[in-house]
Amino acid sequence: MLKLFESEIQDIDLLKDDELAVDIKNLSIKLNGKKVLKDISMRIPRHMTTAMIGQSGCGKTTLLNSLNRMNELNQHYSFSGEVWIEGRNVYSKKENVARLRTKVGMVFQRPNPFPMSIYENVCFGLKIQGMSERRKLDDAVEKALRNAALWTEVKDRLFDSALTLSGGQQQRLMIARALALEPEILLLDEPTSALDPLTTLHIEELINDLKKRCTIIIVTHNMQQAARVSDYAAFLHQGELIEYSDSDSLFTMPAKKQTEDYITGRYG
Amino acid sequence: MKRHIQLNTHISGKFNQELENLTNSVLTMGGEVEQQLQDAMVSIRENNAKLAERIVLNESRINSMEMQIDDECMRIIAKRNPTAGDLRLIMIISKAATDIERIGDEIQRVVRLVTKDKLPPSELIQSGMLMLAEKIVVMMRGSFDAFARQDEKSAISVYSQDNLIDKKHKELLKQTAAEMSQKDEVIADWFEVLWAIRALERIGDRCKNICEYILYLNYGSEVRHTSMKKTLKKLSK
Repeated sequence: MLKLFESEIQDIDLLKDDELAVDIKNLSIKLNGKKVLKDISMRIPRHMTTAMIGQSGCGKTTLLNSLNRMNELNQHYSFSGEVWIEGRNVYSKKENVARLRTKVGMVFQRPNPFPMSIYENVCFGLKIQGMSERRKLDDAVEKALRNAALWTEVKDRLFDSALTLSGGQQQRLMIARALALEPEILLLDEPTSALDPLTTLHIEELINDLKKRCTIIIVTHNMQQAARVSDYAAFLHQGELIEYSDSDSLFTMPAKKQTEDYITGRYG
Repeated sequence: MKRHIQLNTHISGKFNQELENLTNSVLTMGGEVEQQLQDAMVSIRENNAKLAERIVLNESRINSMEMQIDDECMRIIAKRNPTAGDLRLIMIISKAATDIERIGDEIQRVVRLVTKDKLPPSELIQSGMLMLAEKIVVMMRGSFDAFARQDEKSAISVYSQDNLIDKKHKELLKQTAAEMSQKDEVIADWFEVLWAIRALERIGDRCKNICEYILYLNYGSEVRHTSMKKTLKKLSK
């Protein structure tokens, strides 16, 4: 039969181990004595965008934070299970957390540029890593800003304060700051919730471009956004992973009634 | 008010690509059906049963295309939440795919004359059927061209060709009735011929539907079940 539409998205069960960026095995997390993630297992493919959806407090952000051990900043935290990233268990005692966080970059809901120049913001992480040669820094800053689709807008004012940029530009600057460290995985926690609809579409287009360079995992409250940007999507509810599949299936024919009720606005 | 839909101007390049692929898929399906009708004419002219059987077999390919297009429309609606012209475009693509699939079914009815060895027992009727089919091929090609270019002028011109098809269809039915009364010993054979003539006329109606979709796409105004005169008046407002 003639196939009219080609898709690069594979069924989640058919993914081979070497196609995975993240392999979460039976992860449970307690925060302040409350179990916020319950026995989560997820295989997240490389160079794809995976979205996590669910109500507030369902554990999306905790799951995201567990990928670069950001949860450990909370003192009342305990976990069980494993998180494998590019063949390394990130919770092993030998794991260097600083290295992990350069490989697993993160962009938050609200842009949080440092009160310094655009240039300094982008190369901040590189300088901490010890890069000091000016030419190398210049190249890295240009590359990161180009990849974040911001270069043409800021190339003539690199040494202006980052705080003079608009909200959308600041968020792209945050993406550039993360990209400068050449992460393998980019975690986006509600990256457009503070932005207007058109800027949101520009950021989404950027996300689509970025997945050629790294794996994207995005948490969003906006279901339409999850549908638009993601290749795979996971629905969480009260700390449990209810459904995880390619987003074409999840948004057109979810396997679980609970997912259908949530995405069609019937929940609760 | 006329609005031309530009497929490639969304911020999302992927969405542009999806809409373009979807439009192209309907045209691919249309091309396939047009070839089927031309082959059907050859199979009748040459009484070529092998070719007729191939047309019947190919029908499943057209059915599969319709299902694929519908799935893709549903996927795009669920994932992109299209609005305004984009939504109209997706809706008419789904409807056009249904019409094209039905055209495929009608062609199958026509070639049954060959597969069941029930060609009209009259040269006059057979050539009348082929002449009608030729006019329909022209109309079909016109409707697909208008669809590809979203050209409402061509759509209106093709739309009005259906009157001529209806007229020729009526003439052919009259001639067939006259022949039937003279050759009434094979009356059962004539039923298949009548079905085939009816099927040809229905193909013209389906092409007309496609033209209506183009007008709906460009003007956002419903023109189905309306006479041409009223349609033109409505669109000129």
